[in-house]
Amino acid sequence: MESVEAVVAHIQGLSGSQEEVAHLHSLLKQSEDALRSQAARLGAFLHQLDPSVHSLGYLFLLEAYSSDPVCREQDGDFLLSILEFINSCSAEQIRLAPEKFISVCKSFKDKVMQLQVPIQGIVPLRTAIRKLQASSEQLTTLHSDYLLLCLLAKCYKAGLSILDDDIFEVDQPRDLFLYCYYGGMVNIGLKRYRKAWECLHNVITAPMATLNAIAVEAYKKYILVSIILNGQVPSFPKYTSSTAQRNLKSHTQPYIDLANCYATGTFSELEGCIQTNLEKFQADSNLGLVKQVLSSLYKGNIQRLTQTYLTLSLQDIANAAQLKTPREAEMHVLQMIQDGEIFATINQKDGMVSFHEDPEQYKTCGMIEHIDSSIQRLMALSKKLGSLDEHMSCDPAYLTRIGKERPRFDFDEFDSVPHKFL
Amino acid sequence: MEGDDEGTFVVATGYDATYANGDVGDDPRLPPTPRLGKAAVGGGGDLMDVEAYAALYTGRTKVARLLFIGEWCGNEGVQLEAFRLAHDEIKKGEDSHLYREVMTKIGDRLGPRYAFDQVWADAVDRRAEVRKEKLENELNIYKTNLIKESIRMGFNDLADFFYAHGQLGDAFKNYVRTRDYCTTSKHIIHMCLNVILVSIELSQFMHVSNYVSKAEQTPEQLDPVTHSKLRCAAGLAHLETKKYKLAARKFLETGHELGNNYTDVIAPQDVAIYGGLCALASFDRTELKNKVIDNINFRNFLELVPEVRELINDFYASRYASCLEYLENLKPNLLLDIHLHDHVETLYTEIRHKAIIQYTIPFISVDLHTMAGAFKTNVAGLEKELEALITDNQIQARIDSHNKILYARHADQRNATFQRVLQTGVEFERDVRAMLLKESKAPRRRSPSHIHAKGQRKTWDHDPTVAEAAAICHRTSVWAVQRRLPWAAHVKLGARSRESQQGQRLVERERERAEVNINESYESAPSPRRCSLPALTPWWNRGGP
Amino acid sequence: MDLSPIQNAVASGSYATIADACDELMLQVASRGIAYQEDWPFTVHLLGHIFANDLNSARFLWKSIPQGFKESNPELVAAWRIGQCLWTRDYAGVYDAIRGFEWSPEVAGLVTAFSENYTKKMFQLLSSAYSTIGVADVAHFLGMSEDEATNYASQHGWTLDSSSKMLTVKKPKTITEQKLDPSKLQRLTEYVFHLEH
Repeated sequence: MESVEAVVAHIQGLSGSQEEVAHLHSLLKQSEDALRSQAARLGAFLHQLDPSVHSLGYLFLLEAYSSDPVCREQDGDFLLSILEFINSCSAEQIRLAPEKFISVCKSFKDKVMQLQVPIQGIVPLRTAIRKLQASSEQLTTLHSDYLLLCLLAKCYKAGLSILDDDIFEVDQPRDLFLYCYYGGMVNIGLKRYRKAWECLHNVITAPMATLNAIAVEAYKKYILVSIILNGQVPSFPKYTSSTAQRNLKSHTQPYIDLANCYATGTFSELEGCIQTNLEKFQADSNLGLVKQVLSSLYKGNIQRLTQTYLTLSLQDIANAAQLKTPREAEMHVLQMIQDGEIFATINQKDGMVSFHEDPEQYKTCGMIEHIDSSIQRLMALSKKLGSLDEHMSCDPAYLTRIGKERPRFDFDEFDSVPHKFL
Repeated sequence: MEGDDEGTFVVATGYDATYANGDVGDDPRLPPTPRLGKAAVGGGGDLMDVEAYAALYTGRTKVARLLFIGEWCGNEGVQLEAFRLAHDEIKKGEDSHLYREVMTKIGDRLGPRYAFDQVWADAVDRRAEVRKEKLENELNIYKTNLIKESIRMGFNDLADFFYAHGQLGDAFKNYVRTRDYCTTSKHIIHMCLNVILVSIELSQFMHVSNYVSKAEQTPEQLDPVTHSKLRCAAGLAHLETKKYKLAARKFLETGHELGNNYTDVIAPQDVAIYGGLCALASFDRTELKNKVIDNINFRNFLELVPEVRELINDFYASRYASCLEYLENLKPNLLLDIHLHDHVETLYTEIRHKAIIQYTIPFISVDLHTMAGAFKTNVAGLEKELEALITDNQIQARIDSHNKILYARHADQRNATFQRVLQTGVEFERDVRAMLLKESKAPRRRSPSHIHAKGQRKTWDHDPTVAEAAAICHRTSVWAVQRRLPWAAHVKLGARSRESQQGQRLVERERERAEVNINESYESAPSPRRCSLPALTPWWNRGGP
Repeated sequence: MDLSPIQNAVASGSYATIADACDELMLQVASRGIAYQEDWPFTVHLLGHIFANDLNSARFLWKSIPQGFKESNPELVAAWRIGQCLWTRDYAGVYDAIRGFEWSPEVAGLVTAFSENYTKKMFQLLSSAYSTIGVADVAHFLGMSEDEATNYASQHGWTLDSSSKMLTVKKPKTITEQKLDPSKLQRLTEYVFHLEH
């Protein structure tokens, strides 16, 4: 068993070239237990190391040190020293021991939460994620922690910086569940319902053996967001796990009822349904969303009228949308025009509203840019899909599985299939 | 007109047959020249001529229809008349049960002539007892002798007996039993017709359809009358299951040979009414012209109910006001029809919608006042109807409620294409992303080309964060509960399992199971090429910018 | 704590950047564990979000400010009052909230800029949403007296029917760029290539 002093000496000596660091890594792994047993003493040694140069060694010491609860409680500079490390460490070195780095960041997050200052953890975790990721497509365990801190600190906007990345690499399913669930909440908070819907959709369609609480909560929000967006809840896509298909609905009865009431289109019924389940919605802290559902009923009703009428009096709009006065109808129409949800002009003199078709002619440069960019994105995506498909076609495990169903590969057939998606 | 000849011919034969049948001819109260069909309602809200109506039917359906009228007509005079006629009819038969039922309905409202006849009822019951025993004995003898034809006859007689006594379930069973002893196509058809007859009365229309197709599958060429009977039965079955288009086709295919041969189920007038209304409600214009108006065979039926003929012609000639007036006049009587009763409203709504749609098609703009006149409604009501039809995408138009004009809407193809392309693009992108995300969960560990494959696998199996995760869960749960974060319940669950002695192992086992599942779901998840995704539409082919 | 980026943004009148600058600086400062809340310019921060029309962020910021701090700072409360009116679409209330407080010199510029911006936006909304509108309503939406409103509107080509006190709206002409440059052809080639391979 090596002394801490010896370990520190190794670190100082072996933090240069790649080979040295790799050697150091194996040495450090051997002395992990030694470090843990002397965790309390490590604080002093940390000062002898430079986090930017001796990142790997520093990480091992810091991890051992921070996993000791006593140190964590007593060291007033605990947070600062981790912050310092996260900011200055070398990404290349810490990626050799990602689990250690995650562990350090987790202790940091826990401490921040314990002190009830979640805002303090946002920037460090953001830096940590970027250093830990090999590419922005990789989902790390820290993603969900970061989003959690953003939610708790009410810095929703900060959460967007990682939510806008396309995630294609996931190590652990739990990360994905939480990441998408919190991501959904951030997007809901910022009223980006379409994005929120996608996040929540990913949660409920993710493979799961047993039902988990995250999926249930996500499904509740998914129902509400679906109604706000489209006025109805879509059925499960066929790739949804059977667990989810079988069980989710029975755990979210009040929400299913709400969706059914919404479908009838009558305001009083919907309100009654909300009243009866008020406590449940409140307990799930979904009341805000539920209220949005209620107001979206007006919008849905008015929007339907635009499909049917060229002109309609405010009084008739009020009747059709179950609003009390023409003035109220006018304000609703005005709001919807403001939000770009309908195209209409109000004629106060006659108390009429004229509805127009979408004035977009798809001729402007801006629109062409928009179409162009989406084609580019789709091309990139389908390339990715193609390569994944190719990758899987070479995967022995997959092939054995397929082989059982299909005794022999027919080369012609094999060759022709992938092109469909390219 | 050639139709006229045939029409009168059928009418004549029809009524000749009715008289020749004798059972209505016995009735001295029968009016010398019954008015056509159910069109007994003229102007001024005349009540239904129940007697004339009843004269169209024979057998149990006559009673059933009369009782139905009695139940639903809401007019005591008509009700008593219906019950009286039903009583007379029942007395000719042997169904004492039905007799008792009708008598409780009549009470003493028809005077002493229609008081309860205990003697008759007892006599019938006694006779029935004896006869049943006899038939059963005979059947047993046949069975021991194993003569197929006799057994068939035995079952058939027994079934006839049950049918006559209103024990329809038993009748049905025994008719079905004859099936195993049928030796010729004729037998099979006979059996099928019997089963159909009972099933219609039992409202078992599934059986009706089944046995109609069984009868039609017999190798022998069906005679025209049987053929028509089966068409009617099939039509009724479709009508009851709300498949109006199919029902219309069956009725329209009914041959005029039907005549009065099937009056224990349906009168030829009914064929005209059922077929005509179903066709109006479900056919498009061409089909209506080809299969109804130009159908010489069906014209024979239509001649029996001129109102229906007229309203179909009015509909086709776009004289909607007149068409709707005929329909309104017919309605009270149709509501008293045992088969049509449940479908009148639906059929009427459908016909009205069809008329409205047809009215709007040729116009670029329509004045709502004029249109409301044509449909005998006010502008506000018409607006509501149009609104529903536009929302349903049955009419492509927009209402100018200010000037009360309906404008046809011609979708801009180019814009619509752009819209659809963008929409498809958005969906494609979303689906592919979701798919990539799902597929991404396992490959890193199982991919052969990945250098760290083994290492990754190891970290998965000996997940260093398992224990820690539980600990963190516990700590965060405190926060979550304080903050009322919804997943608190979930975390608490994890924490509870950790607190228990075996918590650690439990979490680990759970983790293993999760992994197994992920692998399984990965394998069972649709691979990209098996997934159906909307293909990207090449928008520039359709005239881009 | 160095607040100079924010102060510079306010001083130079680049109000649109305030919100982002404040957000980032607050996170940075907070990460160092400094007790920043006492000295933090919450009012500027909040108004920055309102100016950028990011009401969600404004609301979340308001929620995260400690209660005691709100009570001791009437200007902050007044600033949130504007946000509240915007949130509930109390169009006229926004003007009352702006006029109802004597703003300190630090934020006065920001508030005035927002107010002008808001009037302009409201006028745009009215032009697109109405074909005829009562003078009283225009005054209501623009936070002006009826005469002022009539003047403002007629400057933009609206016409007044004095008997019914109705203004007829003149729709602004929108000019859109429709020219295409040759590089698009290159892209098109790429697409076709992609589809065929």
